[in-house]
Amino acid sequence: MKTKYLLNNKYKPLGWFLLTIGLLIGSYILFIGDLNWTMRVFPLLGEEGFISKTPSLEWSDNEIEDELASLLFIAGGLIVAFSKTADEDEFISKIRLESLMWATWVNYIILFFAVLFVFDMPFFNVMIYNMFTVLLLFILKFHYEVAKSKRTLVYEE
Amino acid sequence: MKNSIKVERAIKGLTQAKLAELIGVSRQTINAMELNKYVPSTVLALKLSEIFEKPVNEIFQLDADD
Repeated sequence: MKTKYLLNNKYKPLGWFLLTIGLLIGSYILFIGDLNWTMRVFPLLGEEGFISKTPSLEWSDNEIEDELASLLFIAGGLIVAFSKTADEDEFISKIRLESLMWATWVNYIILFFAVLFVFDMPFFNVMIYNMFTVLLLFILKFHYEVAKSKRTLVYEE
Repeated sequence: MKNSIKVERAIKGLTQAKLAELIGVSRQTINAMELNKYVPSTVLALKLSEIFEKPVNEIFQLDADD
């Protein structure tokens, strides 16, 4: 089947690998602490102030574990989400689009209520999670729905 | 929309898996169509029509709520 915006199925394991590493590093930073992986960075946009020391258009040192976790999660998540299943066809594409819609709805409904009821630093945390939740919700929903459609097969025929 | 895929499949003596292979879809797709959970594209309907050697509108019929 011809499909737009989907990658070949062979990239899916690579996606899972990157996503897992990203999740592990990310969880470590959020729940345990800094890893202090420092590297020279060149911000196009940065800030020099009370807690930030990364001025725009100048080399400076930065702890890059959070950037690394984000990039791994986004790259891995996109690959997992948008590489074809081994048997991708029009029915699975329909499940895919419906799952994507579901994930977008759920994500923004949660964000809507977070805007209403969460403030200050906790809201900053919501924004951090929200960078990744659309992808995560979609991946969970899509794989659940595909598995469910396979499970009903046992009782048919 | 209703369809008689399950019946036609039985007439041809095909399993879901075999029919899926013949028209190049997953087995879930055949299953979902037979359970009226999925309305196939025109391309898929025409492929089924070829396999069953019957016109499309003998395999698929409109429902009251279509």
